[in-house]
Amino acid sequence: MTITTVPAGEWAATAERLKNEGWQLKDLTGLDRLRLTPNEPRFEVVVQLLHHEHKERQMIHVTVEGDPPTVPSVMALWPTANFMERETFDMFGVHFTDHPNLTRILMPDEWEGHPLRKDYGVGKVPVEFIPQPLIQIDSPGQSPKSGVSGSLLDRLGQAVVEGDAP
Amino acid sequence: MEELEATGHGAYVERFDELEGHMTINMGPVHPSTHGVLRLLLELDGETVLECLPVIGYLHTGMEKECEDNNWRGAVTIVTRMDYLANFFNEQAYSLAVEELLGIDVPMRGKYIRTLLAEMNRLSSHLVWWGTQGLDMGAMSAMFYGFRERELFLDFYEMVTGLRMNHGYIIPGGVWEDLPQGWEKAVRHLTELMPKRIDEYESLLTQNPIFLERTRGVGLITQDEARGLGATGPIARATGIDWDLRRDMPYEAYGDVSFDVPIAMEGDVYARYRVRVAEMRESVKIIKQLTDNMPKGDHRNTDPKLTPPSRTEMAHSMEAVIHHFKLSTQGYTVPPGETYAYVESPRGELGAYVVSDGGTSPYRCHVRDPSFVNLQSLSPMVKGGLLADLVASIASTDPIMGGVDR
Repeated sequence: MTITTVPAGEWAATAERLKNEGWQLKDLTGLDRLRLTPNEPRFEVVVQLLHHEHKERQMIHVTVEGDPPTVPSVMALWPTANFMERETFDMFGVHFTDHPNLTRILMPDEWEGHPLRKDYGVGKVPVEFIPQPLIQIDSPGQSPKSGVSGSLLDRLGQAVVEGDAP
Repeated sequence: MEELEATGHGAYVERFDELEGHMTINMGPVHPSTHGVLRLLLELDGETVLECLPVIGYLHTGMEKECEDNNWRGAVTIVTRMDYLANFFNEQAYSLAVEELLGIDVPMRGKYIRTLLAEMNRLSSHLVWWGTQGLDMGAMSAMFYGFRERELFLDFYEMVTGLRMNHGYIIPGGVWEDLPQGWEKAVRHLTELMPKRIDEYESLLTQNPIFLERTRGVGLITQDEARGLGATGPIARATGIDWDLRRDMPYEAYGDVSFDVPIAMEGDVYARYRVRVAEMRESVKIIKQLTDNMPKGDHRNTDPKLTPPSRTEMAHSMEAVIHHFKLSTQGYTVPPGETYAYVESPRGELGAYVVSDGGTSPYRCHVRDPSFVNLQSLSPMVKGGLLADLVASIASTDPIMGGVDR
């Protein structure tokens, strides 16, 4: 399997040539090079292509630059890229120009951050504690009576653990 | 439609456009015939489906991210949970990728065991599809029969791997344990039983006039649409695309067995039904050949840097103890590199894109799940059809939401 690197500016033209040669898009995903060497530019779009007649595969790395990282969409050439580009946008924050509906696909719409980026930690989501009524037992033998301590409830209500939210 | 497309994971949608008489409704995410938590946004004109947009992500648990936090061996237990009806295929694709990065070979017996289990898994996965396809068409007994036979397969997996699902049995380098005593008898029992049972299934549905009425000419997709939308597996083969990775780009032991790749030309629900039933028969053929020719020898790579030593070896070798300690605390490292490995799962091409930075855990582990990609073919299948036929089309795309959402 050959691996080639293509800059984002040439991707649209390269994709069109490959499509005309009979290559089919099988997979499109992202790669965050933050902890790899070289780590510039940081984001890449990784594309897997398959040729049915030649029974060959090839992998293409599209280097993506800018903030937000932007790359042309290939959905017009290969409609199958629709979900894959949305997933890459959702997980890496890579923007695909000319994509008709570039919205989050796996995470909720209001989600902040892009989970598969390397600086997005595992388990760093703030945990929200819901206040529960407290049960106070004054002395042994007495039946527990339910009561809510005002000050404690206030504290619990605000007790949202401050995580390293992305 | 502009408004509809802008709606992603938002709240429940139900709208009636008084001017045009169109209705926008949700189907799912909790609905008995969406096969899991699939939500479809439908625009209807009476009973005719004008637009169908799948909304997914309800089962997303960040498995690809979790893989990056596990060691190379541990990530197997994550990927196996993706497509939960075809666990062995997930493990196989991931293991093939890691083996390529490691540059190691799997002993012949290991390859045969993997192929054997993969083919049995194809059968058991198709049995669930057969049962649910029947159930969605109103043939409830199909569900009972399909699950009855699947139970026999799950018993076999339990005998071999210790677990009925999520096995973690196929690992980089081979398989975790050799086949247990008596496996051959159990497999031969299944290969003798299954052809008779498949005949039984066919006598229930294949010529059933109600089933034919509900599936013929329903859920049509053309070959160009299927190709463009990247459909693989039975959906593509039911439109006449003659492509099967097992035959065209053989991996593992598929080069040593002979089998046919069933295709159909119509591209409707019935064509996909015929392709899958024929695939079940082919799987039985492959399982028979593999059982007859099962080679002897090691079931996994014996490199001490990759495989923990046996207990007896550890009793008298200091080196073995050190290897065991290293492997069980930190695991092995994989040379830097990247690769894409692929297998033909019951739903199509299942690929694993794995990147290593030379460390003890995957730097990136992406799985191209066929259910995720094939779900895009649902929209052209159902547009212009009746709402009741939508159910037939969903069942025939056979989506597994664990694989779609990962």
